[in-house]
Amino acid sequence: MDERTRQFVVSAFQNYYSTADIKLPPDFTSREWGFIEFTSGQDTFMKRHRAFGSEGELHDYLRGIGPAHAYYSVAYYEYPGAPKMKEKNWLKADLIFDIDSDHLPGGINSYADMLEKGKRETLKLLEFLMDDFGFREEQVHAVFSGGRGYHFHISEESVLSLGSAERREIVDYVSSKGLNLEKIFSKKDISGDAGAESAKMSVFPSEDEGGWGGRINRYLISYLSSIAKDEDAVKILSGFKGIGKTTAEKLVDTFKDESRVAALKKGKMDALGGIKKDILMTIVNQGVEQMAACVDEPVTADIKRLIRLPGSLHGKSGMKVTALSIDELETFEPLNDAVVFGDKSVKIKVIKPFAVQMKGKDLMVEEGIQEVPEYAAIYLMCRGVAEYGR
Amino acid sequence: MDEKDFALYPYISGASAHVKSLGMSLDRLVTSRAMESARIRGKERVMQAIEGELFKPSLSASDEQKILLELLSYPFSRILVSSIDDSFLTRRYCLAEAVASYKLLKTSDLDFLEEFASDFSVYPDRSDTGFKLHFTSYIRMASSLKAIEWKLVNRKLHHGNVNVSKEEFSRLLQELIKERVEHNLPMPVNEELVESCEPYLVEIQELLEERKSTFGDSEFESVETDLFPPCITHAIANTQAGVNLAHSMRFAMTAFLITIGMTVDDIMNLFTASPDFDIEKARYQIEHIAGSSGTHYKPPSCSTMQTYGNCYAPDEMCKKISHPLNYYSRKVWFRKRDAQKAAGNTVPDKSQKNDS
Repeated sequence: MDERTRQFVVSAFQNYYSTADIKLPPDFTSREWGFIEFTSGQDTFMKRHRAFGSEGELHDYLRGIGPAHAYYSVAYYEYPGAPKMKEKNWLKADLIFDIDSDHLPGGINSYADMLEKGKRETLKLLEFLMDDFGFREEQVHAVFSGGRGYHFHISEESVLSLGSAERREIVDYVSSKGLNLEKIFSKKDISGDAGAESAKMSVFPSEDEGGWGGRINRYLISYLSSIAKDEDAVKILSGFKGIGKTTAEKLVDTFKDESRVAALKKGKMDALGGIKKDILMTIVNQGVEQMAACVDEPVTADIKRLIRLPGSLHGKSGMKVTALSIDELETFEPLNDAVVFGDKSVKIKVIKPFAVQMKGKDLMVEEGIQEVPEYAAIYLMCRGVAEYGR
Repeated sequence: MDEKDFALYPYISGASAHVKSLGMSLDRLVTSRAMESARIRGKERVMQAIEGELFKPSLSASDEQKILLELLSYPFSRILVSSIDDSFLTRRYCLAEAVASYKLLKTSDLDFLEEFASDFSVYPDRSDTGFKLHFTSYIRMASSLKAIEWKLVNRKLHHGNVNVSKEEFSRLLQELIKERVEHNLPMPVNEELVESCEPYLVEIQELLEERKSTFGDSEFESVETDLFPPCITHAIANTQAGVNLAHSMRFAMTAFLITIGMTVDDIMNLFTASPDFDIEKARYQIEHIAGSSGTHYKPPSCSTMQTYGNCYAPDEMCKKISHPLNYYSRKVWFRKRDAQKAAGNTVPDKSQKNDS
């Protein structure tokens, strides 16, 4: 960005910060702060190891500098402003999850599409955090990053002292890493009566069993029951590797039979009749892939990481890093709800053609000078595809 | 907890307070003639640890003298370990203390386990099958355990809680005990103190050297590295090149090598080529997997290897097996057969094939 553009954007950010109501993280005086300023050159570097003793001090700083990016540490330190990490004396850290829509599997068509996929992934993660980990809705603070993803912040006492390896266990859990599927279907020895040979009973987790076992039961049964109702059920099932027409028909019969489905829900594998477990494994694998939440592991494991300040602006989009309640998360539309700048017309020089949907409008700009609403102007300048003025 | 429990679990916070209340000074413990049997038991603790298993006496509440002796032997054994200040010994000693406690704990009743755990700030709830732990307590204890069954992802986590059996809970406590015993060990000891302990140190040092040299005396020749499955060969090559392995792969490789008969030192020799090799850490990990903690870990099957993304370049033989160990044992069998054919002997009986 050139110098005139930089001045324009900085002043718009300063303006935003002069009225913005920013809710600070718990115990904000124990946090390290870091900022990246807008520059007209290529060099960006972070000013970090800062600490603030009062809310006013921090607000003054934001208003005064209008930084491109504002971060605080997930860690709480005894001396957050100490210039060396070793001297800060780490006390504890919030538990953070980062879902970066950029890294999700599957193709992505547009920015809006990417954000939507990220949101769906976020809701998956939320289910794990509430059902499995037992957090309540109000304990999980969702944040739209202002860029490509979503963050969750948890500041509950019980998690604050967890170390990196322990936090990695949590990520592995939600992403299914290390899940031992062999154990899901197992054979249990039942000792027979005196003299009788011991028998093996096939065991499968019941639907109300905790952890991945119960999840897999619920997935398998709901997936197969719904397919069984489909006219093309046999055809769909035959599409799976290892499932032939006969097996597909058997599966359809089984999952149409309510009493057998009820037995399967309780984990009674025998209700499957002659269907081999290898065949179900194909579907189980698909289910695990779909249920797993794709979380950026290094972010959660890093107990000293700097994370974006909710309420601040993201310097690569000009959008607001938006704190969301769980209800808000479901209906949140980033390209509308995280846009903070107005409609006032601004003249810009577009460097390369660009298309984006904002505030419900399709915005397509061609190279050259044109006028666009301020929110779009700032977005394009932040993205580096336009400069201010002629 | 009573004095007997302090004697059996001498690292419990109440135990050191109790020792203090007896008016026992370090000086008296080391020099007083009345303390000699405590010192002898202290030496025995360390010797047993080197040999692999530390045995706890059975104590009844009336054995006041025996209880006192057992209790005071613990601080003395710490002095001995600190005086020798050998990292192998320190590790082995801490592990042996923790394993001995585990063996005792798993036979204790639930009330006692609950009280014991509270000394480590672990507060489980009861469940039908044992205990219910908040996941944060669970991963604090289990994240250092490498076997896949301990991973949180393989536990029935429900509304924030994980169920563990009494035995599992005791095994988890073993990790906390080891941490506690390791704390401040070796502690600073002055020359004078070391000198007074000299009579007890000689035998320990002899046994330690002997143990270390046995570890070094390996059967490496009988292990045929060129018959390893591709996943293991790849991991060894990576380690030697200084590439960091994923935890799961390091575990799989080490467990494999140990199961086929390599000793800890053999494995260390295989790896020390790598430039950023952390000998201490590696030895600890290898010993842990080798089972000095009481559990002998088996290497994971092919499907687990695949789950972790550790299956590498499977070849023709891989199609016929479902476990990396079977790859090796088949190859060994074929090689023996070929060798005997070449020598004009008859084919060995297939039943001799070591199909583990």
